[in-house]
Amino acid sequence: MSREKGYTKKNFLKGLFIENPLFVSILGTCPALATTKSVEAAIGMGILFTVVLICSNILVSLLRKIISEEIRTPAYIVIIATFVTIVKMATNAFLPELYSTLGVFISLIVVNCIVLGRAEAYASKNNVFDSLIDALGMGLGYTLALIAMAFFRELLGTGAFSFGKIFTFIPAFKLQIIPKGYEISMFQNPAGAFIVFAIILGVIAFIKNRKDELKLNKAKQERIRKEQEAKLAAAKETGGNQ
Amino acid sequence: MPSKKHYIITSITLGAIAMASAVLIGVTNLATRNQIKKNEQNKINAGISEIFGKSATISKEFAIKEYKYSNYVYQVKQEENDNNYALRTTGSNMYGKVSLIVGFKYQETEYVFSGLYVVSNEQTYASTLVENYIDPLNKKTRDLDDVSCGATYGAKLVRDMVNEAKEVVNKGFGE
Repeated sequence: MSREKGYTKKNFLKGLFIENPLFVSILGTCPALATTKSVEAAIGMGILFTVVLICSNILVSLLRKIISEEIRTPAYIVIIATFVTIVKMATNAFLPELYSTLGVFISLIVVNCIVLGRAEAYASKNNVFDSLIDALGMGLGYTLALIAMAFFRELLGTGAFSFGKIFTFIPAFKLQIIPKGYEISMFQNPAGAFIVFAIILGVIAFIKNRKDELKLNKAKQERIRKEQEAKLAAAKETGGNQ
Repeated sequence: MPSKKHYIITSITLGAIAMASAVLIGVTNLATRNQIKKNEQNKINAGISEIFGKSATISKEFAIKEYKYSNYVYQVKQEENDNNYALRTTGSNMYGKVSLIVGFKYQETEYVFSGLYVVSNEQTYASTLVENYIDPLNKKTRDLDDVSCGATYGAKLVRDMVNEAKEVVNKGFGE
């Protein structure tokens, strides 16, 4: 089978921008709204999600010729649930603070549409390497989207960024950006999460529309130019004939 | 129509995937079990220190089985004559499981609630429950029965757990 040149790069980058699971496909919004109170928690959620996505995509791709049509969905659910359980146990053992912070949202990765969606739409039809790249791109895209949301929520909600030993959730020092008393604590609440999410989606939609408009204008100008050229050529031809 | 062989192969495939999953989970459980227990013990020690002070030590511990939420008792001493208790209580509702250490200090005639520590919290509104109910309860800025906090069902569960623990500790342990 011939492969398009640069397919791997395109496959990886699509998850980051064009098909970003959170900001473009609007999938996995529940943990995105719940676990983005701080950048640290968002990074943790993103990493755990990416690990599950990579493992499930690889295994689904490996077994794609064995798993028959009828048992596809239950088989994928079993595979995803297994990896989520493993990730949950490992987090509980080795990153207990992250486990406590994310709580039930680690278990809820099982029902995250992105994981089942990628298994069904991509890994079940493609080879292991491509499925791995797809999972990496989608996982990183989702992680970056979570970080973007958490960045604004933490900044506006607490007015500061806390730094310390990663995933201990104990701040060693705080970088106060908005003066104390001027922070908007609503951004730490679910309502704030919805507002930040809506603003980001609005900005993305604006950029996309602007890009489409520019493309359309360019195409229109090109068409007019071509029409004018054709008219000029036709006039020249008529003039020459006379 | 699919053949009998197709059905058998399909069943075997799904069975094999489930079996492999069980093995993987079992192996992970074996590898992480001790560390999880150790973390839990560390949390319990941290909870007892937070409730009773850094010098508090567990002098005796035992399990209790006959109660809905309370399942473990720690006798805590800071000084020779201290007779304080911390009870481990675990409960769940439709929003998930929550496990707490509830501390009681003996004052005059009975054991009085002296603090709460969250060992594990799998409630959907976990942070709301801690920030709006458990933390103010520890700071004594909220009453135990004032459960309207944004995580009301979780708070009601915690209230019931604390009330049961209080009843248990005041009933005594037959010593």
